[in-house]
Amino acid sequence: MIKIQKEDFNLENEISFIKSQHSNIGAVSTFVGYVRNINDKKNVTSIDLEVYPEMAEKSLLEICDQAKKNWKLIDILVIHRFGALNVNQKIVLVATFAIHRHDSMAACNYIMDYLKQDAPFWKKEYYDNDYKWLQNTTKTI
Amino acid sequence: MKIRYFAWLKNITNTDSEEFNEPSIRDVDSLKIFLCNKYPKLDPYINKEKIVRIAINLEYTTTNDKLSFSDEVALFPPVSGG
Repeated sequence: MIKIQKEDFNLENEISFIKSQHSNIGAVSTFVGYVRNINDKKNVTSIDLEVYPEMAEKSLLEICDQAKKNWKLIDILVIHRFGALNVNQKIVLVATFAIHRHDSMAACNYIMDYLKQDAPFWKKEYYDNDYKWLQNTTKTI
Repeated sequence: MKIRYFAWLKNITNTDSEEFNEPSIRDVDSLKIFLCNKYPKLDPYINKEKIVRIAINLEYTTTNDKLSFSDEVALFPPVSGG
């Protein structure tokens, strides 16, 4: 399931909802990305996340389909937020559900790597008196 | 065709989307020429640094694909999600 939304999400509720639909899940791996207060030695006050929604959904679905081909997965949940976000707020959740941990952990990593490389989202980061559009690099991917 | 611009590219074009029905725009390369003439400030990012990514109907392209009037083409800088 892919969700592209402005609203915050509750990790426990999101996991519980998918868990309630399957009884064979033995492993859930999650990655949660947050807005942090320092980037490149600058004080970050907030970010603005822009998205190309139609393409982001398609791109994430394709990444998840490929993950399902590479590993034995029962379900996948990706939530990516957009709009204005403050320091400490959640940006993204990737949760992978499998029978065994190897599949869920490897798939979670894979999805995040490709999300950062290909999904059309852009972060505009605000500092005390300045702002900058960010760009994912091999270092940040 | 509909052209969409994202992130800081919008600062150059002063719009997030526009429609063109120019017969001279037949493929990706001719679109690039058209846009660089219309917005000279785009030129270095498209032709020199080559950091502008292009998607046609929600699919990335890196080749000189043919374009039709019904296509939606998006131009954007390197992504930074996650």
